[in-house]
Amino acid sequence: MDLRSTGGLPLRASNTGDNVQTGTKISVAGHGLLITWALVGGWLNPEPLPFQSQDVSIISAEEFARLSEQQAAPEVAEEPVAPQEPAVTESTPAIPERPTPTPEPPVQPEPIETPAEDAEAEPPAPEPVPEVPSIIPDAPDVPEIVTDLPQTAEPETAQQTDRVAPEPVRPPDPDTQISDVVQEEVAPDAGAEANQPVQEATAPEAASDRIVTEAEADDAEPTAPLASVRPRTRPNRPQPQPEAETQTAAREEETTPSPEPNPEVESSAVDDALAEALAGSGEVEAPEPSGPPMTRGEKDALRVAVSQCWNVGSLSSEALRTSVVVGVTLSREGMPDIGSIRMLSSSGGSDSSAKQAYEAARRAIIRCGSRGFDLPADKYAQWRDIEMTFNPEGMRIR
Amino acid sequence: MRNAIATVLLGLAMLLPVGAVQAQDGPLRIEITDGVIEPLPFAVPDFIAESPAAAQYSADIARVIAEDLVGSGLFREIPKVAYISPYTDFDAAVNFTDWKAINAQALITGSVSLSGNRITVRFRAYDVFAGQELGSGLQLSGTTDGWRRIGHKVADTIYSRLTGESGYFDSRVVFVSETGPKDDRKKRLAIMDYDGANVQYLTNSASIVLAPRFSPTGDRVLYTSYESGFPQIHVLDVGRVQRRILSAGNGSMSFAPRFAPNGHTIVYSQSAGGNTDLFSMDINSGNPQRLTSAPSIETAPSFSPDGSQLVFESDRSGTSQLYVMPVSGGEAKRISFGQGRYGTPVWSPRGDYIAFTKQNAGRFHIGVMRTDGSEERLLTASFLDEGPTWSPNGRVIMFTRETQGASGQARLYSVDISGRNLKPVKTPDGASDPSWSPLQN
Repeated sequence: MDLRSTGGLPLRASNTGDNVQTGTKISVAGHGLLITWALVGGWLNPEPLPFQSQDVSIISAEEFARLSEQQAAPEVAEEPVAPQEPAVTESTPAIPERPTPTPEPPVQPEPIETPAEDAEAEPPAPEPVPEVPSIIPDAPDVPEIVTDLPQTAEPETAQQTDRVAPEPVRPPDPDTQISDVVQEEVAPDAGAEANQPVQEATAPEAASDRIVTEAEADDAEPTAPLASVRPRTRPNRPQPQPEAETQTAAREEETTPSPEPNPEVESSAVDDALAEALAGSGEVEAPEPSGPPMTRGEKDALRVAVSQCWNVGSLSSEALRTSVVVGVTLSREGMPDIGSIRMLSSSGGSDSSAKQAYEAARRAIIRCGSRGFDLPADKYAQWRDIEMTFNPEGMRIR
Repeated sequence: MRNAIATVLLGLAMLLPVGAVQAQDGPLRIEITDGVIEPLPFAVPDFIAESPAAAQYSADIARVIAEDLVGSGLFREIPKVAYISPYTDFDAAVNFTDWKAINAQALITGSVSLSGNRITVRFRAYDVFAGQELGSGLQLSGTTDGWRRIGHKVADTIYSRLTGESGYFDSRVVFVSETGPKDDRKKRLAIMDYDGANVQYLTNSASIVLAPRFSPTGDRVLYTSYESGFPQIHVLDVGRVQRRILSAGNGSMSFAPRFAPNGHTIVYSQSAGGNTDLFSMDINSGNPQRLTSAPSIETAPSFSPDGSQLVFESDRSGTSQLYVMPVSGGEAKRISFGQGRYGTPVWSPRGDYIAFTKQNAGRFHIGVMRTDGSEERLLTASFLDEGPTWSPNGRVIMFTRETQGASGQARLYSVDISGRNLKPVKTPDGASDPSWSPLQN
């Protein structure tokens, strides 16, 4: 290796190693200087002294004199002003008199037939009025009777929210209207000439995800967090669902429109028209589901939509142990045909509890379906007829 | 070419199973397991007064119905200002659209007529979103003095139709009314409607009274009185306000009585010679029968609804715990195993739960557990909660809550067995030891 002839520059492959050593030395020296400067240089350079700045303005001598006058002692009023007495409101409103209860409340309910409703009324069929048990007229003959109960103010012990939902919901703003649908407030633009529709903000009612008894609330730890949770690792990208192939196929179909109408959809439409034409003349056999199947996400969306209106809060304990399968037919707009809602089966309870469970399920379908469930129109044949199983097992133990 | 065709066929063959799995057989099927728990909104417009004289009751009865339903915690009343269309005719068809628009899921309509001192109430209930009447219309009549009871009965019917279980509004509560400072408290028996209305006193405050308990038919009350200087059990006829002593003196103290479901047997504790055991007695014959014989303290017995078992508290294990034993005799089985002390067990009228008082870590709780001791759940927590009693339908528990300090006062509270709807019960004075009657006939 001869560095002299080359001025230290690697001209040949065989000299590369020596040149690298030289470069390494230079690099090490340079980095060493840099690190030394970083470690030591900071100490040698004192931090700049803190300084403050203040905005000033130049005023004239007249203005300064005026300002000085205002700092003089305020003039004292010759006569003190009498303090105003607060306005006295009228006397406390008298407690309305209540009828003095008599010790003998003889109530004699009697079964009397309820008159039939008008012909225009909804068809409540003329059913016989069941007998009402008579009430024992005897009541205790007591020496003293309290005629007026004072309306004492009681401490508020109600829980924060009476509503329990699958997901906890924060209390909406005070001005927000309660609704199942979340809508932002839309106010007309200030400068707009045309009348713009005004939409009030709506949001679901506050809810917790479980019932918290007073004892549980009493045992609760302080609300301030004692430690923060380590952030979770970033979730993996979702793997393509098995439906991907089908979706891809569907997309391909969209991009290359078929010159001929889809015979399955047409068949479904014909069946619907037949069903409508034959309505009232007996049950119409539903068409066989056809077309692309519902994806898991679409099913979940429907499930969540119905769940929001499935209120089991007023069900009996037995009804909360009763599962019901409810059949319903939807219109193309996703709205349930109320007449088609029927209980297909039930399990876990008596007929009475099944009836209560079914009525709660029916209310859920009708209420949340009143605006139409958000379902893919091209798959109408798949969701035209639905069987919903309402299983309250998980709600019972909340 | 052959290879290409084979490849295509192989690909199709691989796709076939996927298509078969995804194919939908029959209607779309989904399962819904998550719902909401919230009060069901209802509307109850003032009932129609069919005569001017009935006007004073038409609104009042509707108010009683609304307060009953709202008070249960299961229903929420829609305020009248939200109503779209007025309600003017009981027999007219209901415009469900207007009631749907304000999210009234149930609608209660009614009318009131008056003839002399007799009042007649007709009512109907509707499932608004289904556009159907719930059951059929009913009619109740009675004297004007009993208008509140008519309202309670209507509310019970509505409650039953909407929940599927019987109501509890037409019921009464007997309790110990307390007045005066803590160190000189006057106690007397009182009875009232379940909602605190129509309070009437059954005894004077000359002697201390404790633990009144209704008979299964609600016509009699057992209680403990110190009238003779030591505790003795009395039975009081509620209708005639006549009472008599049940337990013989003999220097023994008898207390904590409770009726058997048959209505003619009672079970109670008797303390003699420093030991307390359970006894039963036929009211008519007055013959006591010993149920337990142990050196420990056995007290606070309560029958199962079928009368075959007793639950009671005992300190035989060292601390007060709950035990269940057959009435016919046999070994008692301990059912409480949590931390703290358990007492005053009461069997639910439905037979599914036992309510109890629990003391743990300086706090008192009202709780419920299954009859085998499982699924223990504490519903309340305070300085002093005790003495639970069940509503006739086994859905609500009423109990005593006493506040701390020299000025502390005992009040009655109620809570749903889910732990929701904890609220005070209105009483004119301090109140303790409630006992809920069965539904009145």
